Amino acid sequence: MMDLLEAVRLVAAPDVLIAIFASAVYGLVVGSLPGLSATMATALLVPVTFWLSPIAAVATIITASAMAIFSGDIPGCLLRIPGTPASAAYTDEAYALTRKGQAELALGAGLWFSAIGGIVGTLSLVLMAPLLAEMALSFSTFEYFWLAFLGLMCATLVARSSPIKAIASMLLGLLVSCIGMENPAGTPRFTFGITDLLGGIEPIPALVGVFAVSEVMRAMVTPEPPPLPRRKFGSILANQWMLTKKYQWPMWRGNVVGIIIGVLPGAGADMAAWVSYAMSKRFSKEPEKFGTGHPEGLVEAGASNNASLASGWVPSLLFGIPGDTITAIAIGVLYMKGLNPGPTLFTERASSMYALYLIFILANIIMIPLGIVMIRLAATVLRAPRAAVMPVIMLLCAVGAFATGSNLFSVLLVGVFGCLGFVMERNGYPVAALVLGIVMGTMVEQNFITSLIKSDGDILPFFERPVSGVLAAMTFGALLWPLGIWVWNRLRGRRMAAGGAAE
Amino acid sequence: MDRAATGHKPAPGRSRRRFRPQASVLDWATGKQVQGVSVHLSDRVTGGVLVALGAAAAIAGSRLPAVPGQEVGPAAFPLLIGSGLVICGALIAFGIGRSFEVPEEEEAPPGPWRLGGLRALVPPALLLFYVLAADRLGFLLTGAVMVFVAAFALGARPRLALPLAIVAPLLVHLAFYKLLRVPLPEGLLAAPW
Repeated sequence: MMDLLEAVRLVAAPDVLIAIFASAVYGLVVGSLPGLSATMATALLVPVTFWLSPIAAVATIITASAMAIFSGDIPGCLLRIPGTPASAAYTDEAYALTRKGQAELALGAGLWFSAIGGIVGTLSLVLMAPLLAEMALSFSTFEYFWLAFLGLMCATLVARSSPIKAIASMLLGLLVSCIGMENPAGTPRFTFGITDLLGGIEPIPALVGVFAVSEVMRAMVTPEPPPLPRRKFGSILANQWMLTKKYQWPMWRGNVVGIIIGVLPGAGADMAAWVSYAMSKRFSKEPEKFGTGHPEGLVEAGASNNASLASGWVPSLLFGIPGDTITAIAIGVLYMKGLNPGPTLFTERASSMYALYLIFILANIIMIPLGIVMIRLAATVLRAPRAAVMPVIMLLCAVGAFATGSNLFSVLLVGVFGCLGFVMERNGYPVAALVLGIVMGTMVEQNFITSLIKSDGDILPFFERPVSGVLAAMTFGALLWPLGIWVWNRLRGRRMAAGGAAE
Repeated sequence: MDRAATGHKPAPGRSRRRFRPQASVLDWATGKQVQGVSVHLSDRVTGGVLVALGAAAAIAGSRLPAVPGQEVGPAAFPLLIGSGLVICGALIAFGIGRSFEVPEEEEAPPGPWRLGGLRALVPPALLLFYVLAADRLGFLLTGAVMVFVAAFALGARPRLALPLAIVAPLLVHLAFYKLLRVPLPEGLLAAPW
């Protein structure tokens, strides 16, 4: 109880409240601009967090990412351009509603169910994390290795492209993480005699390059999105309570699916939205209405992607294994602020954890009024010409990268990773898998090599311990999943072809 | 949707010649440009590059000195990853991954990669410029050049690009230098604060 009161005091500090408000506005604006994703919004916040108190730093990341995931729905609904990839799953549906003249309903559903999803996700974090923390205390390097590896495999499933290309991206990320001396033996690897490479490649310049610079590069070769037509909105929350009652069951299913996907290391909001939208269509009583402006899918997927955001913090806080690319950034900030992830965080820094929960709830509550304001102002914000926004983003990339290490080499890295991300995306290689490879590479190697040394080169202990056995099975399941689908499709295709031939 | 229909007028002259309206369709749901004639790297090329990279990593990794008295050392991980990359690269080059893809997911079609594609190199080139020039010219001037060139490349008219190039670096400098205390280089032109 004392911890909770202490947490309230921590969150009520003026600097934290200002940080929450400012990052909420920032997240709403950046998320709503097409092409600027929630991950990018978070990555560009990192240099700002250097200067904030630990709680305020975490608050900015939590608030900005939650707002950006919601506000990605706005251009999706009004222009059929998702503001963030997490909104892409139901963009067509939302736009169909707008065409029917029900833009208020679509935007309101995005807002209302985002907030509900965020709060339910937070509750799951509150309930799950301490339970898992006890379990995590007994984890050894074997379990950590499998967890990290499972995260990487999940990251390859997220991508809606060839799983082989996704695995290749991930391996490329792991290879990048080999650079430098950050390995168990402390041997300099792949440094090519460049001193700047001895320390390895920092995740932040890589992230900024892959998510922000490549986006500016893409803006150079794609036409500008059409300007938003001005329109008057009616009441935004008017029918949401009715929708909540009508689609109560899909809403809960969305929340639960989002939580489960968020907890899986490596899989985040994008995947949650796709899976939930597909499930909603599959289990709906009226699947034929999907795609024609039917709010059911919006309810389920909108709740799901925000729910996954909060539960994605579970593996991050407990094991230091990111739930998605946003928490990958958050983990870096946690380390920097002395809130090292791990089970002890919940016992020794309980008040900070409570503060984190409170920030999540607060962020999702203020999302509703601020979101309404944002929807009303969307026409003005989205009118900002891309030729003005993108150059500023680029300047921020350069300065942000410089700020993380105060050396110009990071700026160069940002440029290099921008090119890499651009080329990869153009050719169907998912960049999120690359980033998670870079972020988790050192951890995977550390636990893999330590485990091998402990077991004298024997791989059997990797499967012997009960928890590591389960995790290993899950990892191989994720690895073989695409193969299973392929075989199933093949068989079904053959059966259908045979059936067709028989007729 | 071609460029004219987007309501954006390309700047006359060079820019128009570079970015000829083409029979291209923008798939807004994915935000990517879908085009009939595509000049992007084929799977053969990217797969081949991955095979070469993986092989190089594996070979270079296996030559790393071992830690005395230990079976597994710094060589193990690069060797493993390198081999994995070789396998993935080969699979991609032979087009095996394609049959795994659900057709609708084949969504990475390239944009116009001809002359227009060169514009994509503007941002990395400007970042390189920042690395080379920031210490000598100072942040304000370097930033102004970067913003102006980038805005111009994106089709902004000087009426927008010039004020932006003056105001944006000043604001960024104020935020990062004054508030966040990032040691931005002064160079030729020092900020008034």
